[in-house]
Amino acid sequence: MNLDLQFKEILAQYCDYSADEITNDMRFREDLAMSSLDFATLLGEIEDEFDIEFEEVGFANIMSVGKALEVLEEMV
Amino acid sequence: MKTYPLTAAQRMHDIWIRDYGTQQVSGVSMVAALKIPMEFDVLQRCMQMEYERNGCMRLRFTKRNRQGEVKQYFSGKKRSIGEVPLIDLSGMSSQEADDTMQHWAYQTFDGDNIAMFEFKMVKLPHGFNGFFLHMDHRLVDSQGLAVLVGDLLRLYAHEVLGTKEPPELADFSQVLERDLAKASNPRRLEKDKRFWDDQLDTLGEPLYSDIQGPSVLEESRRLHNDPTLRAADVEMTDTFVAVKDYYLEPEPTSRLMRFCEYNQLSVTNVILLLIRTYLSKVNNGQEDITIQNFISRRSTRAEMASGGSRTIMFPCRTVIPPDMEFLDAAYEIQQAQNRIYLHGNYDPELIREEMRKRYGTPPNTAYESCYLTYQPPAASYETASLKGIPFYVKWFANGAATKKMYLTVSHNSAGEMRFSYHYQTAHLVENDIELLYYYMMKILFRGINDPHVTVGDIMAQV
Repeated sequence: MNLDLQFKEILAQYCDYSADEITNDMRFREDLAMSSLDFATLLGEIEDEFDIEFEEVGFANIMSVGKALEVLEEMV
Repeated sequence: MKTYPLTAAQRMHDIWIRDYGTQQVSGVSMVAALKIPMEFDVLQRCMQMEYERNGCMRLRFTKRNRQGEVKQYFSGKKRSIGEVPLIDLSGMSSQEADDTMQHWAYQTFDGDNIAMFEFKMVKLPHGFNGFFLHMDHRLVDSQGLAVLVGDLLRLYAHEVLGTKEPPELADFSQVLERDLAKASNPRRLEKDKRFWDDQLDTLGEPLYSDIQGPSVLEESRRLHNDPTLRAADVEMTDTFVAVKDYYLEPEPTSRLMRFCEYNQLSVTNVILLLIRTYLSKVNNGQEDITIQNFISRRSTRAEMASGGSRTIMFPCRTVIPPDMEFLDAAYEIQQAQNRIYLHGNYDPELIREEMRKRYGTPPNTAYESCYLTYQPPAASYETASLKGIPFYVKWFANGAATKKMYLTVSHNSAGEMRFSYHYQTAHLVENDIELLYYYMMKILFRGINDPHVTVGDIMAQV
């Protein structure tokens, strides 16, 4: 499974969209209605799933699905 | 029989039961009623259906082992919940009916391997009919209970009124297993421990702050004969609790919500700032203030749509100098909270263990006097499918508080915010709570009217 789909399948558990409905320009807060807690929980799950560790300082810049995928692609 | 360990959230309640020696501290109760004639035989059938649909209701606990630990397991799905009594309170005044139900909320579930919930069907004054539900918090938290009650009412409405059938609830056993697996991931555990240890490495031992000012810590210092003690004694015997509710009107509520939205702030973090500013004010400007904040830990759709006890509290430590602006202080708390959210699978008991190890914190003492739960509008009681039918919902305190002051902030359908203060009557009187609410509101509106005013100025002006 490619990274894009794998990420979106996890993300789909946190919002009212299926993985194939989620587009890269969607924003976590505004479009997917995720709270800070939801977002932090998602990051934790991504860390466990991909065996990576995010730098805390960079979180605030991850506003959209596309940006999250960019960061993820660099780390995996 | 498959058994599971308790999750960290369940363990939190279990430790209170063990330490306080009564299950009463873990009781949670509510009544839900509709203003329609009720077919109680159908309601009882719906209760049985709910028991089958909602896995958390089927949880039971084993006898404590020698280490004092219990395990949990699911009892059979097809097991009968038994005959549910129908109690007629319709001849009473509303206050008398509430007082009667309040008394039911003080009851305990005593014994091992027993059901930890109890239904009563009720006829209430003014034509309301419904049910009273009393449960153990290890089965369900307030959001889980709202899921349960909402589902049960929708089942009834479907059966009797022909409304849309409610969708299946998420499989609670899967959510539980996933939660336990996450928490036992060694890499995750190590990362979480590192985060909490770093906080202590950086800030050192926390310092107690009390609603009633520094005299409380001074008293504990005298009792322990330790002038440097930074934790204060917790009431362990007289845990009787009183409840005082205040309602913030729709207009100021709306102003607060707009302020939060405009500044991208969570309401929780603003409320934490209000409480900590008050504590700082009454504790000679103390900068290092810790409040216990409850986190719902419900983010996935399955977690939202299943019952269970997921809410857990973590210490929110705020070190805010008086020259920091109100808005910056709110962001500071928000950043701290966002970091805590990343480590929300950790067992808070491990944080306390680490502090005991590092600082020799005496038994039955704490660094916090205030506890907060914020329930956002989305988590409020959802009655969309019952639109048009007047309903009555009321939560009842279990009557035994493990915390000196526990504030629950929620929203209602009238657009108000409810500030519900549960306080131990052994140490606090209503006037203490009135002052706390009064100053919280003064701090709030001073802050949102001028977000660039400093916290020190606010404390001096209010």
